[in-house]
Amino acid sequence: MPSIFEDFKEGQRIGSGPRLAAALTPVAPAENPDRLKAFFYFSNSTRLPSDLRYSLFQATGIRLSKQEANSWIEIFSPYWKAVGEIVKFDEAPSHASWVKVFDAWKETTNMLIRGYSTNGLQAWTVPCLYIVGRYLRTFAQKADAELSSQDSVAFGDRFQDDAVTDFRNAKLEEATRVINRMFTLCLSDRASIEESRKWGIYDTTNLLFKSYFKLNSVGLSKNLLRALNASSADLPEMDAFPKSHIVTFKYYVGVIHFLDENYAEAEEHLSYAWNMCHQSAIKNKELILAYLVPCHLVTTHTLPSKKLLSSFPRLEELFRPLCNCIKAGDLGGFDAAMTVAEEEFVKRRIYLPLERGRDIALRNLFRKVFIAGGFDEPKEGQPPIRRTRIPVAEFAAAVRVGTHAKEGSRVDMDEVECLLSNLIYKGLMKGYISRERSMVVLSKGGAFPGTGV
Amino acid sequence: MSNPQSTTKAEPTQQSQPQKPPVLEEDDEFEDFPVEDWPQEETEHGAAAANGTNNHLWEESWDDDDAAEDFSKQLKEELKKVEASH
Repeated sequence: MPSIFEDFKEGQRIGSGPRLAAALTPVAPAENPDRLKAFFYFSNSTRLPSDLRYSLFQATGIRLSKQEANSWIEIFSPYWKAVGEIVKFDEAPSHASWVKVFDAWKETTNMLIRGYSTNGLQAWTVPCLYIVGRYLRTFAQKADAELSSQDSVAFGDRFQDDAVTDFRNAKLEEATRVINRMFTLCLSDRASIEESRKWGIYDTTNLLFKSYFKLNSVGLSKNLLRALNASSADLPEMDAFPKSHIVTFKYYVGVIHFLDENYAEAEEHLSYAWNMCHQSAIKNKELILAYLVPCHLVTTHTLPSKKLLSSFPRLEELFRPLCNCIKAGDLGGFDAAMTVAEEEFVKRRIYLPLERGRDIALRNLFRKVFIAGGFDEPKEGQPPIRRTRIPVAEFAAAVRVGTHAKEGSRVDMDEVECLLSNLIYKGLMKGYISRERSMVVLSKGGAFPGTGV
Repeated sequence: MSNPQSTTKAEPTQQSQPQKPPVLEEDDEFEDFPVEDWPQEETEHGAAAANGTNNHLWEESWDDDDAAEDFSKQLKEELKKVEASH
């Protein structure tokens, strides 16, 4: 792994945004553990501006306009300071502080934003924004964790509920305001699209989505979507963007619709994310499916295949018991499985759509009554037709099977009729109840739509 | 160059209160991909299409024959109880 200055030089020389962004990546990789230290110890705070000018430009032979060159020096100065704070974690841990790292990094980010807004940094360097924005969030979260652990030591947890919790995410909120300026910086660029920061729009949006989710302010995401929508005519087609930007974006948009209970729309975005996701990004695929599976249950009343779940043990554990009960029409088992996993479902915010699975379980139970009813006497030369007139009592018996009714308990016929009419109303079953005959008359053409009978 | 109007639109406001109490674990955040972009063949869709396993996502079989007999028997037994109680 090359040094920070080598990355800067190569990035500038070949015009590669990712290579240039590597220079601003504040981690020392395993193969070059001294990368950050080497950068920090190359100078000291009094000599820093002239040392940077020398190492970034004179030594590398990179020629930029005076304004642009100064801008990079302004960016690298707080960056050097931030790196110095990071190095402390290795060298003097008792003096190291994530809050100080964050403060210096925030300054780096502000300088970078200023570089674009007033100092003419070129649009191809926009991957620097992604990297700097990403670490701004990381450092903010570390700083918040550090502050809250200090607070709980100082206050002995006494104010956990009032004083401390209010400032729990103070740095992340600060970071989010800065990233918001990055969002505007990308979206409002009026340059022609080949030279536009608009290519950074989805990546910065994703940073904001992540922060809003973390800050429990998902509602704010909708402001971003409105702003994006208003500029959609000026944005390139989605598939022109790098897939990492788009997949992440689609995932969050899907989840936002999901939380609004717009399952059809949610499914559209989540499916896109699933299809375009990198096949070996297991964790992300699992996250997409955690929402896509409940969506699909609500919109199409179908369950995930065994094969799908078997590749994701955590999802298998989460969904399998419920799916088995839905498939078998086991209402009692379904209720028990919902109770057992309630906490986890609520935490993942998927309880509501999964609850609707009870209707599907009931549909499957009644469908089994239909299948068990067999066929009417076939008419001459006609294909056999399933028995479509079924006594309500048979459905009542099925409810007894499905709810594991105890010996001697009674099933209320009105209640069974209510369940039946509910399914018919929801379109899960086609037919009508003939009350005077206590019969259900099912449709001859598809009594249980979408289930093959 | 920055557009003041869209700044106000997208700026987070202080009065926004947490709306959904449960917070996802840090662990549950969508991860950064190790690469920025990848070819179609490396997408989930592309890989599945190449393996011919395109439609394995959702359950399509009903296994109607497997448990039908068992269920019929159970249903008949319960039906007797239903009829006895009415």
